[in-house]
Amino acid sequence: MVKRSKKAKTMRKLIKAIWIFNWFNSCGFTELVPLVGSRWDMERFGMIIVGSPRHADVLFIAGYQTPKSIKRAKRVYEQMAEPRVVIALGSCTMTGGMYWDSYNTIKRLEDYLPVTMYIPGCPPRPEAIFEACEKIFEHVKELE
Amino acid sequence: MATKETELLDEMKSKFKVDGKIQRERRIWVSTDEKKLMEMSNWLKDRGFVHLSAISVTDWLEEGNYELTYHLWSYNDKILVTLKIKIGRKNPAIDSVTPIWKESAQIHERELHELFGVKFKGNPDLSPLFLEDWERSPPFRKDFDWREYVREEFYDRENEREKVYYD
Repeated sequence: MVKRSKKAKTMRKLIKAIWIFNWFNSCGFTELVPLVGSRWDMERFGMIIVGSPRHADVLFIAGYQTPKSIKRAKRVYEQMAEPRVVIALGSCTMTGGMYWDSYNTIKRLEDYLPVTMYIPGCPPRPEAIFEACEKIFEHVKELE
Repeated sequence: MATKETELLDEMKSKFKVDGKIQRERRIWVSTDEKKLMEMSNWLKDRGFVHLSAISVTDWLEEGNYELTYHLWSYNDKILVTLKIKIGRKNPAIDSVTPIWKESAQIHERELHELFGVKFKGNPDLSPLFLEDWERSPPFRKDFDWREYVREEFYDRENEREKVYYD
């Protein structure tokens, strides 16, 4: 039995089931649809996609972000209640991916939003996303 | 044998003194100049070319020209007429065809104004379509060095993982 501080316990209650808000650009969404489907069915872990960022614990950002869409992503992030987690999926969010020399995509997401975790891959496998979500519980303690 | 393509092309040649050729079945290419654009467009619209499917720009850097291409489709004749017009690259300006094709021209002209800097005279709204806070030269011009721009704007030479972009 792991000993947890009182704060960590409260935090853990808050993120008991991961409610997700998706901010997906380009191929990010189509590549991660299997996660919702029957094969990798994420709802068995209590992960659901919510309609409003105000209900969400986790913000998934996938695909390249443009200078235009990152402004909207920031507004989505600001609406989320604490504690909040940002998970960036795919190589596009890290380095720009295949759009590394495009004038119109941002290259490092951490310059714009506090990214909790990056999941590499083009696209990442659904298993990798589950692993990341498992780590969210471990990292809940570190969240403010 | 006079097909509908040759008939149309001959009609245009005699009326407007333009060059043109039948590219293949149901495709006609016509080269004209900017002064005849409005006249020809009006005439083609009345003749059944109600569908403006696209306007595009080709940047011929060595020639110093922009080539504007208007793709027009007629539902009666089932012919695609391609109007090609060359304009100077320095201060590209041309009459707007929004009075003729309305909204379908509007969106293309707005895009081309943003990406190539073509000024469409008479278009009421040429505000940016995709780009926000863009202060450089239009990004689709061939002399715009986007790699250089990306290096200044997004990358850092001191950053270990980004050094490769400067080699």
